[in-house]
Amino acid sequence: MILSILIAGVAVGSIYAMIGICYNVMYSTSKVLSFTSGQLGMLGAVFGAWLIGDLQWPIWIGFPAAMLVGVVFSMITEFIAVRPVLKNLDQHLYVLSTLALALMVQTAAAIWWGTEPRPFPTLVGLSPAGLAEKYWLPVLVCVLTMVSVDLFYRKTLWGRAFTAISEDADAALALGIPERRMRVISYVLAGFVGALAGFAGGQLLFAFFAIGALLTFYGFIPIAIGGIGSNRGALVGGLTVGILQQIANYVVGGVFVGVVTFALFIIVLVLMPQGLFGSTVARRV
Amino acid sequence: MTALSNVEIPPQATPWRLATRLAPAAAALAAAGLLPGVVDNYWMQIAALACIYWVLIAGLNLIVGYAGQLAIGFVGLLAIGAYTAAILCEKLGVPALAALVVAGCSGAFFGFLIGLPSLRLKNFYFAMTTLGFATIVTQIALGWGSLTGGGIGLPGPVFPPPFDTPLGFYYLALAMAVLATYVLRNIAISNFGRGLVAVRDADVAAEAMGVPVVRLKLVTFTFSGGLAGLAGALYAARQTYITPDAFTFDLSVMFFIAVLIGGRGRIVGPMVATAVLTLLPEIAAPLVAWSSFAYGLLLLLVVLLLPGGMAEYIDRIFKKRTVAARITSPKVAAIAGVIARPDAGPASPVRVKGVALAFGGVRALDGVDLRVEPGTIHGLIGPNGSGKTTLLNVISGYYAPNDGTIRLGEEDMAGLPVQSRSRLGIARTFQTPRVLGNLSVLDNAMLGAYSHFESSFPLTALGLPRTRREDHAIRERALQALTAVGLAHCAQSRADQLQHTEQRFLEIARCLVMQPQILLLDEPAAGLAADEIDNLASLITKLSTLGVGVLLIEHHTDLVFQISHHVTVLNLGKVLASGTPAEVRSNKEVIHAYLGT
Amino acid sequence: MTRSTTSLLRLFALAVGVAALPFATMAQTSAPPIKIGWLVALTGPNSSPGIGFDRGIKYAVEEVNQAGGIKGRKLEVVTRDTQGDPTKAVNAALELMNREKVDFMVGPTNSGEGLATTPLIARNKTPSMVYGVVDTLIDPEKYPFTFRILPSNKQWTDAAHNYILKNLNAKKVALIGDATGYGTATVNLSEQELKRLGATISYKALIEANQSDVNSDMQKAKSSGAEVILVWSDSAALNARLINARAEANWTAPIVGHPALGSGAIKPLLTAPGNWNAVYNIGYKQTSFDKAGKLPDETSKFLSSVVAKKVRVDDTTLWWIAAGYDAVQLIRRGYETAGSSKPEDVKKALESLRGFAGAYGRYTYTASNHNGYDVNDIVMNRADSFKDGSYTLAPGYGQ
Repeated sequence: MILSILIAGVAVGSIYAMIGICYNVMYSTSKVLSFTSGQLGMLGAVFGAWLIGDLQWPIWIGFPAAMLVGVVFSMITEFIAVRPVLKNLDQHLYVLSTLALALMVQTAAAIWWGTEPRPFPTLVGLSPAGLAEKYWLPVLVCVLTMVSVDLFYRKTLWGRAFTAISEDADAALALGIPERRMRVISYVLAGFVGALAGFAGGQLLFAFFAIGALLTFYGFIPIAIGGIGSNRGALVGGLTVGILQQIANYVVGGVFVGVVTFALFIIVLVLMPQGLFGSTVARRV
Repeated sequence: MTALSNVEIPPQATPWRLATRLAPAAAALAAAGLLPGVVDNYWMQIAALACIYWVLIAGLNLIVGYAGQLAIGFVGLLAIGAYTAAILCEKLGVPALAALVVAGCSGAFFGFLIGLPSLRLKNFYFAMTTLGFATIVTQIALGWGSLTGGGIGLPGPVFPPPFDTPLGFYYLALAMAVLATYVLRNIAISNFGRGLVAVRDADVAAEAMGVPVVRLKLVTFTFSGGLAGLAGALYAARQTYITPDAFTFDLSVMFFIAVLIGGRGRIVGPMVATAVLTLLPEIAAPLVAWSSFAYGLLLLLVVLLLPGGMAEYIDRIFKKRTVAARITSPKVAAIAGVIARPDAGPASPVRVKGVALAFGGVRALDGVDLRVEPGTIHGLIGPNGSGKTTLLNVISGYYAPNDGTIRLGEEDMAGLPVQSRSRLGIARTFQTPRVLGNLSVLDNAMLGAYSHFESSFPLTALGLPRTRREDHAIRERALQALTAVGLAHCAQSRADQLQHTEQRFLEIARCLVMQPQILLLDEPAAGLAADEIDNLASLITKLSTLGVGVLLIEHHTDLVFQISHHVTVLNLGKVLASGTPAEVRSNKEVIHAYLGT
Repeated sequence: MTRSTTSLLRLFALAVGVAALPFATMAQTSAPPIKIGWLVALTGPNSSPGIGFDRGIKYAVEEVNQAGGIKGRKLEVVTRDTQGDPTKAVNAALELMNREKVDFMVGPTNSGEGLATTPLIARNKTPSMVYGVVDTLIDPEKYPFTFRILPSNKQWTDAAHNYILKNLNAKKVALIGDATGYGTATVNLSEQELKRLGATISYKALIEANQSDVNSDMQKAKSSGAEVILVWSDSAALNARLINARAEANWTAPIVGHPALGSGAIKPLLTAPGNWNAVYNIGYKQTSFDKAGKLPDETSKFLSSVVAKKVRVDDTTLWWIAAGYDAVQLIRRGYETAGSSKPEDVKKALESLRGFAGAYGRYTYTASNHNGYDVNDIVMNRADSFKDGSYTLAPGYGQ
């Protein structure tokens, strides 16, 4: 019993963690938290199910195609909803513009794909030690993603440029780092990670238009708890949320899981606005 | 209905003037009242729905439009009002009108609860929190079956005659909408309205003006929650039956869009937007599947193209431009009338003793002693980074020193927040002027007297004559202050149309209105031309002769030496020299470190 | 013009006018159409039943109109998609009654919407057929003009309880519903009824349809010692997850419950086709295959004519289409019997029906009973036997 709670919790928590990383990557270069993060996951799951499941494309074509959809949507997000409002960052209009875009893509998916959850195809077909693929796949993909993103930030020039911009955008600009190009690249990366999260989690969550909103919330909680910008925090936060959900499900039953999770989320945020791993707010005067 | 930056100061409200101002509102009210005679039952009930939504949106307007908080999940409060009324009527047999009032109160209570996180959380975080709140409300409604009927829901309240017919109910909804508008307008044009805009656009300066940011936010949330609760009860009655799935995310977005499209901080705009957005799904019935998409698209377009909303767009076209060539000629003599306080006791000096403050490893202030005596000008000079502004901020109360004391008279101000210190009579200007661009110059000046208003929020909402009298008195004072600094001719212009230098003088006018004991000026002469510096000098000098103690931070050392009674030089957080201008000017170390030969 | 030409023209005009007179009166007496207002969730969540009903209604209307209509009056359906949103449903109901001035209202298709619109429609004295199953929707005193086509929830639950206690011989029941209005109401109903009948509820849960993992619920149900799992949810995702979770828990207890347990949408969501064994969903004698694999004759005819008109059956359920069809048939019968379109007369006409045979079931209405579906026609089906929109009877229904 405990074991099944843990397994399910870790699996779904990994998906949340990846969405958290997606948030972080977008935030690093633009200081923007985007409501579209969860929708990227939805697109990855829906297009994965459509291309590989319905159209029967082989995985080595269908997977990159599904990722491409996420990347394109993320680039659209940057171009339409983020770039125009960066001038007035202090007004935080990006909250509304990304929300609007998320609502649009969610409705479009509901109309095109339908409002019933549809199945996501089994990809590999292996169940080591009886552990279903829908459980081990998200965890494996999450770990790989974390390691890759970490290496990216530390070892590649682009990654270090991201870090520079996120620490001090003006200094980075003064160093000649092309801010806009870096931002677009970061959104490309975020689009890939987000779509990957949905793709890897499709068997668990089903290909369903509503998982966009779900992932937007539950993918945000990890970084709120772990601190924006920290991928480790996203992982810890994601696993915590996932396991907590399963425990709550067991103890209070499904209907109140959302209540418990959100109440905890609000309490943690109010007590520690910067999260466990985050940095404190800069001076205002 | 008038927009904030368009408030006129009628010297005498003649009947004709009153009539022309009220005419549009009266016409709209007459049209709404006659509506049932013109359209059929269906459109009348749609109109009733629009009225109900407007009651909520009027409150939301205060939070989003005036205070600038991103409260996206407001449908949760609608649900709370609806369920409170339904539960009271259905389960406890409470009469509907009483349930309406209680629903308002429960909405107010939960509005207050939502307001609490808003103090710590900003923007995206706060938006998420409100969304979470809305989700929690619907989930509890769904899960707590014994109370709320769970998924089956509850019948809504039925109002007693004459409100139990569709016609009667329409008039009830209309009456509530009119009430909401009246109350919204009263708050909007009042002290609180200005304070909210200050919280939205310049919260740092707001504190320095004595605006109790925390209290104001919470009061606003409570009030708006109350309106939302009332709307919820009416909604439950209109629907005749409520279930959790009626309170959709789409509704939250629609409410938000109405405020944005109409224009944040306006009244007519959001009202029209509410009517349009309620009607739209009815007209475009075949496209109903795309309604969420349409809301998203609309929100995106508004944010990208018209962040100020329709009203601001129209404003820009029709607003009169300020006179291009204008000369700021202060009437220094007018100052006395502004700052004189008949009941004021003797002024107190500011005593800074041994203040030290470190940021990380950097010692910004390292044991500073300073006295600002009433009726004197104390100049503070020193190289960049010497700690001048930091000292100002410590005196204002933005930072607490690691060591040392700051006294006003005998009172140790340790632990006093910024707004309390400003209420004790400490006024300040900022290195970069922090004025409220969306408000008029006059409104900006009036902000200085925020803490002098005695009318409470509820009384202001009711629009009592006393509030109007207070407002009028402060308005006169502010106008005098503007005359004193030479900006009276721009009183009606939007503050963002002022030049940078004029904004500096506006900040000073704002401080005058505060009737301060102590005035802290942070590089007021930066960017000023020679004649403007002369104006500034005469202003400051006059102030000191009237008994105000002035701390003047400046890089224009000529100005400092010319008007100061006492000069302190800071270097690397320490006091390098302190004495009369003549002494300091000839001090070798000062010359070496800062003045040069 | 000459005088003779003028008078000739006048005569000609008079002749034309006289000749046209019968046509004029015929145009006036050629009756206006009977307008049916159709409130349905065609998009949005829970739209599958609505889509099915809609097909049946459109097909039936076309059939009636081709046969000349009802006493010369054609049927006209005015459709409003409510998206499952009660506010939209209320607005649409008001519009249909006040602007379109419909003669008869059908729908809405979701219980939550129905609870809001039924009082309004009743206040307007518009006759209506509802599709929601929640019991409180039908009340001949409060809502004298409202009739139901589907069985009431009570009738569904009675059939399921009967099957559990008599055919499966089970005494301990795990009771699961989704968190919608329907699920909550039905779980409460089942709980009361089962206790009254002497069974024990060893586990009870309300699960949100979107919950991604139901294993802990299934485990808890299993360890409670339940012998059968009773499920009340129309969500394909939830039902599929429950079925899968039962397999994962290596549990062979039968699942009994909502018709949607057999929905075609579940099949691809199952981790193994065998998981669908021992799942028995509520069905209708009219639309069930007997042991020999045959549908009742009338239903076979209905199915072929529907398929001939290119109405899709494979992605929905036949009884949904049949129920939509029957709504129109009942309306037709009501107007034909009444001989007028006054609501009072139509109401009396409907209340006089005894065993009126439709494609979906047989209907009997009286002045004190507006739940017309013949409860004897409710059966249990084998959920995994879906074919051409229908199911095979569950074991124990010897036919």
